[in-house]
Amino acid sequence: MAADRWGEALEHAGDRIVAGRAMDGDVAAFAVLVRRYTPIMRAYTQRMLNASAEVDDIVQDAFVTAWQRFGELEDPAKVKSWLMRIVSRKAVDRLRLTRPALDVDELDRPAPPQTRPDAVVEARAGVAALGAALRELPEAQRECWVLRELGGYSYEEIAEELGIPVSTVRGLLSRARRFLITRMEAWR
Amino acid sequence: MTDHHEDDPLRRLGLEPADLDGHTIEELGDYLDAGRTPRIPAIEESPGCQLALDALERLRGLGTALMDEEAASAPPVDERWVARILSGIAMDAQAGRRIPFASDDPDVDLAITEGAVRGLVRAAEEAVPGVLVGRCRLDGDVTEPGAPVRVAIDVSVRLGDPLRRVADRLRAEVEDRLRRHTDLRVAAIDVAITDVREGA
Repeated sequence: MAADRWGEALEHAGDRIVAGRAMDGDVAAFAVLVRRYTPIMRAYTQRMLNASAEVDDIVQDAFVTAWQRFGELEDPAKVKSWLMRIVSRKAVDRLRLTRPALDVDELDRPAPPQTRPDAVVEARAGVAALGAALRELPEAQRECWVLRELGGYSYEEIAEELGIPVSTVRGLLSRARRFLITRMEAWR
Repeated sequence: MTDHHEDDPLRRLGLEPADLDGHTIEELGDYLDAGRTPRIPAIEESPGCQLALDALERLRGLGTALMDEEAASAPPVDERWVARILSGIAMDAQAGRRIPFASDDPDVDLAITEGAVRGLVRAAEEAVPGVLVGRCRLDGDVTEPGAPVRVAIDVSVRLGDPLRRVADRLRAEVEDRLRRHTDLRVAAIDVAITDVREGA
């Protein structure tokens, strides 16, 4: 069928072509973007919220916003980072909604462990260890760290997103890094 | 603080200023952000700082790896999920400008949307095997009948297809379709091959 041929060609095409078509109103191309970037947008949102309950709603909302605002995407080749920014903003909005102010003075007490003890033992590889350590990171630190290292935000942008001073962001990031490094080392 | 651990890992792993020859993790983070320039000899020559810098760099690389791995190990995206998103979007969101047809009769007001014209341009790919049209821009005042318009098209081709011939055929096809279906005065059609793909 002709439609299948176009569909397959689109799946093989680069972001500039696919996002360029989607910007021009081609729904099939937009569907390719949804397939291509749902996994990473879900993974990011999950890390940001440290919970899975609302991840799908947030990612869906991000795609709908992207479709409405395609006119603001200047370079279709950069659609991935543009989508990540949108989903990140949606995740921060959700955090603000459920929690009026970020408790930046929270003790460095780990979040309640959500991993089974044997899962931690299994977490030998660096990536798995990081994943497990992130789940234990206090929330203010986690949000700063995710925005910085996974979202690529500057200190100033994080301060703006979270509504806290830049100096606080710097402090939280340092604590997050110390926490993650030591937790991961302890499991080695 | 970390009462369920036997000892204080922060101390054991040496990330306190005492272990870092008086420097702090915050300072080392900034130093890494600055690309370790200008070089700070006191940091570069401190064994404690070197260990901490290595750990910080490792951590940074792992963040990206974590995202990539989680995305790669996720199950294929469910088509019901795609359908759910598509059902929530407005189909005319990218309609763009309104392009009038020239008419001598003041009572007749006919127009086509920019989005529909881009759809026409895109459909030209059906006549040129292997071509996939990307973004299409109409540069010029399309709302003014008779104003010259430049059409700029991004194109993807299959690996091994003759680029020049493909571009020429597509340009002719687009020109023909625009002439037949719109009143646009097309000054030029710029075809940019920006993508070469394998497979279909």
